[in-house]
Amino acid sequence: MAVRILLVDDHPVVRQGLRTLLEGRAEWEVVGEASDGVEALEKVGSLQPDVVVLDVTMPRMNGIEACRLIQQKTPGMEVLFVTQHDSPQMMREAMAAGARGYVVKSNLARDLLEAVEAVSQHRAFTAMARNPLSC
Amino acid sequence: MKLRILLADDHEIIRRGLCSLLQGHKGWEVCGEASDGREAIEMAKQLKPDVVILDIGMPILNGLDATRHLLQHDPHFKVIVLTITDSDQVIREALNAGARGFVLKSDAARDLVSAVEALESNRMFFTPRVNDLVMAGFLDKGHAIVRNEPPDLPVLTAREREVTQLLAEGKSSKEVASLLNLSTKTVETHRSNIMRKLSLHSIRDLVVYAIKNNIIQIQVPPHLNGTTQSTLA
Repeated sequence: MAVRILLVDDHPVVRQGLRTLLEGRAEWEVVGEASDGVEALEKVGSLQPDVVVLDVTMPRMNGIEACRLIQQKTPGMEVLFVTQHDSPQMMREAMAAGARGYVVKSNLARDLLEAVEAVSQHRAFTAMARNPLSC
Repeated sequence: MKLRILLADDHEIIRRGLCSLLQGHKGWEVCGEASDGREAIEMAKQLKPDVVILDIGMPILNGLDATRHLLQHDPHFKVIVLTITDSDQVIREALNAGARGFVLKSDAARDLVSAVEALESNRMFFTPRVNDLVMAGFLDKGHAIVRNEPPDLPVLTAREREVTQLLAEGKSSKEVASLLNLSTKTVETHRSNIMRKLSLHSIRDLVVYAIKNNIIQIQVPPHLNGTTQSTLA
């Protein structure tokens, strides 16, 4: 299934790594990149991706706030958090902000493709390194 | 012949990103990837790469101690350290450890290729802040940045620093013993020597010492550290 993805992370190297992983799937397309929440909101509006892959900690506007605003602006747009915060509390905040998925960066090679696939089909996906929680 | 690069970072996604950056350069190849300092040392000894890129904040053995270990083994290794911070102390330790390149992770997409190019031509590569500090040290010998021993870490041996990192990461003496191929009794002796030398009284004190001295690096959730910049630890 074709999936159009917007990548949002303040570190270019991480965006490059995510892009490399995601572009391994021929039918998936990274349609744009943003480096903070403000830019993410602009690009969500202009690019209308199927899935927004969103970091939590970013300058100007963090991912949690961006996710809330994305959901207000475009209800039903799928957001997958990709973060270094291996914390159940942060995961709850992310899901409460309207995200469909939450994965930690340390396990991305294992989890990312499965997570994007699930989220693009409107299924929840969460995976943490230390404290697995079901949502 | 291609320039062979060994890459060590505990986050696979960062390695993917860095690999993609480096492999895009004609004439370079990433000959190996490691996810902690010990693995990096083993692979470097085996693969003999032209350039070793080491993240500072890695588990089991951090990038600074891995740099020290590698250069003691063979001073010809050319090491670039990747760091989340260019604080004076980290810069001082990296230079003292013998790193020839110093790149901030947040700027890696811009600087890493330039750093590898510099080392390829037997030059060094530092961020502007490192250059400023080195220049300040040169102009004021009383504050020279490169010393024979880093001021805050004179008392621990390399082995004791390894044990300190593993204990601070929450490993038991038994687990440390297994990782370092030592007996539990030897690890416990190291542990009491460390506590005595540093005048520490608990594992909590040891963790604080390890964080302050860049032996381990921690991730702080944004709501606790008051900053919005992510750290890529």
